[in-house]
Amino acid sequence: MTQSQSSYSPSKPHRKRDWLPFWLILPTVVVLLAIQVYPALYTVWLSVHERKPAGWTYVGVDNFRRLLNMGLFKESIGHTIIFLVGYASLTMLLGFIVAMLLNRKMRLSGFYVTLLFIPWIIADLLTGIVFRLLVFPDYGIFSGILQNPALFPPDGISILTAARPKPWFGDFPFPPSPAMIYLILASAWRALPFITLLLLASMQTIPQEVLESSRIDGANGWQIVRHIMIPLMLPTLVVALFSLTLSGMNGIGMVFSLTGGGPGTSTEVLSMLLYAIGWRQLYFGRAAALALLIAVINWLLITGTLRFTRLQERSIS
Amino acid sequence: MTTTKSTRKRWEGIGVNLAMLLVLVFAMVPIFTTVLISFKSEQDIIRKPPNIFPCDTPEGFKWSECRWSVEGYQRVLAPKPSETSPLGVAITGNIPRIYIPNSVLYATATSLLVVFLAGLSGYAFSRYRFRGHGLLMTGILAITGVPLLTNLLALYQMAATFRKADLPFYDDRLFIIAVYMGFYLPLSVWIAKGFFDAIPRELEEAALIDGCTPVGALLRVTMPLALPGLAAVFLLTFVSVWNEFIAGYLIIAKNQYKPVMFGLYDFLGQNIINLQVIAAACILIASPVVILFVFTRRSFFRAMVEGAVKG
Repeated sequence: MTQSQSSYSPSKPHRKRDWLPFWLILPTVVVLLAIQVYPALYTVWLSVHERKPAGWTYVGVDNFRRLLNMGLFKESIGHTIIFLVGYASLTMLLGFIVAMLLNRKMRLSGFYVTLLFIPWIIADLLTGIVFRLLVFPDYGIFSGILQNPALFPPDGISILTAARPKPWFGDFPFPPSPAMIYLILASAWRALPFITLLLLASMQTIPQEVLESSRIDGANGWQIVRHIMIPLMLPTLVVALFSLTLSGMNGIGMVFSLTGGGPGTSTEVLSMLLYAIGWRQLYFGRAAALALLIAVINWLLITGTLRFTRLQERSIS
Repeated sequence: MTTTKSTRKRWEGIGVNLAMLLVLVFAMVPIFTTVLISFKSEQDIIRKPPNIFPCDTPEGFKWSECRWSVEGYQRVLAPKPSETSPLGVAITGNIPRIYIPNSVLYATATSLLVVFLAGLSGYAFSRYRFRGHGLLMTGILAITGVPLLTNLLALYQMAATFRKADLPFYDDRLFIIAVYMGFYLPLSVWIAKGFFDAIPRELEEAALIDGCTPVGALLRVTMPLALPGLAAVFLLTFVSVWNEFIAGYLIIAKNQYKPVMFGLYDFLGQNIINLQVIAAACILIASPVVILFVFTRRSFFRAMVEGAVKG
């Protein structure tokens, strides 16, 4: 990045004007190098070191090995997969439906749309607290229903404390605990407005004539969605899915305040595990190794998505 | 034929409206119940089974007999009589006295700096073609994808190093503003570039022909036109910083400098059973950004769609 600036061409005729963009961009680049690039490299350094009584010592791949041997790490990957699949699919499905409802030429008051979009600007930590209030053991407004043994057998205890059912597939934590399902619901509540807006913006670019002519040709609602809307909206759908996955994997505030990783370890997703290793157990090197793994997953997701959308754009044009 | 079609249309209309109502209920129930809880008194909080409205009397449900209370808000604000303050009461709660002012400072300072820097570089990216243009833009886009979480360990270490170095001007507050700036800048650059792209270049060229300097054209012609876009960047950054929790919680050492989300988290630990107090704190902390959002909705939507399509 810096190299591209130093090789900036000063030999062009309007020498004075040519330097202007360099000065305009310089502060941004300096800030990004200091706050984003340097810490990323520092994390790589941390991941092969560990704090010992004598100070930071080089330990090589030891941090990674210890991490991979940790039982909770494998379990946590399972929780993260369940959370991401549930969160992304629920939000995408609901977002698509709500966008379709909003896309009809209805006279919607600004008030209605404003109310609908408020969850979006509520902080994740705060959302977690609010959802916790709703099902707070014994006193939460919904605990009367949710803790009714006649409706939800067998034990009638709060969904925030109910234990995880016995897993069906070996160590993989499926079926998830009630707390995990509730966490997915709360996360979807907060992400829904943004995804709806994204899908709606894309839906509005589909020409009405295309939809009308297919309707005249006898396509039913599902066929229109399946064969016309989804293919045309594919790039946006991928962007939405990608942003959900990223926010789901790297968000920590909601888990922090809603379940704190519990009950037991049943909602201990990777982001919570990073916090626990780094700031509760104080193994900074090992936590950096985990951060690096998360970063690599992020990076794979981003490049994969970019490549996919490029391919799509090419095949459409 | 026509009648069946119109009745079908009408039923469809009713169905759509019902569905919309359901969506609205899903979106509003958590917020509405939090507001309700925040206005209950302790005796209505700790009862089994819980009730929605605190309005039941031995004779049945009466709206006129509701026991609304502001006890929760009183305990968050903790007003105490005071002779020095003009209103006769001083607010002594930690959230309004320490944490909200901290977050106002961080959010305002970060947003102003982000708007300034993103405005400059967004303009440069939009108006100039130079060597490394594409590479630099892609680099910034790639950084947009780096989450705060994975850089947190290194940033925490950096803050510890700065504190140990005992620099005379250094303060955790400076560092956290820099951190927030670094994290909300990349997306803002993309959004700002998009807004500048939408402003016709001819306007500037006309100003240049009339004898304006390039910087003068930028400040006098382009900036005023870009103002709505930059305002959107400001709002988006402000809300993001206000809502941020984990970085402010971990990077800042002294509790007195921590942001409002930490204040809320801390408060949660102290009032674990007093749901009305927690709810009141939530309402007080969420209301500034909710009010901001209600009045500037269009700006938010534009910035988000702009940013999301690129990012």
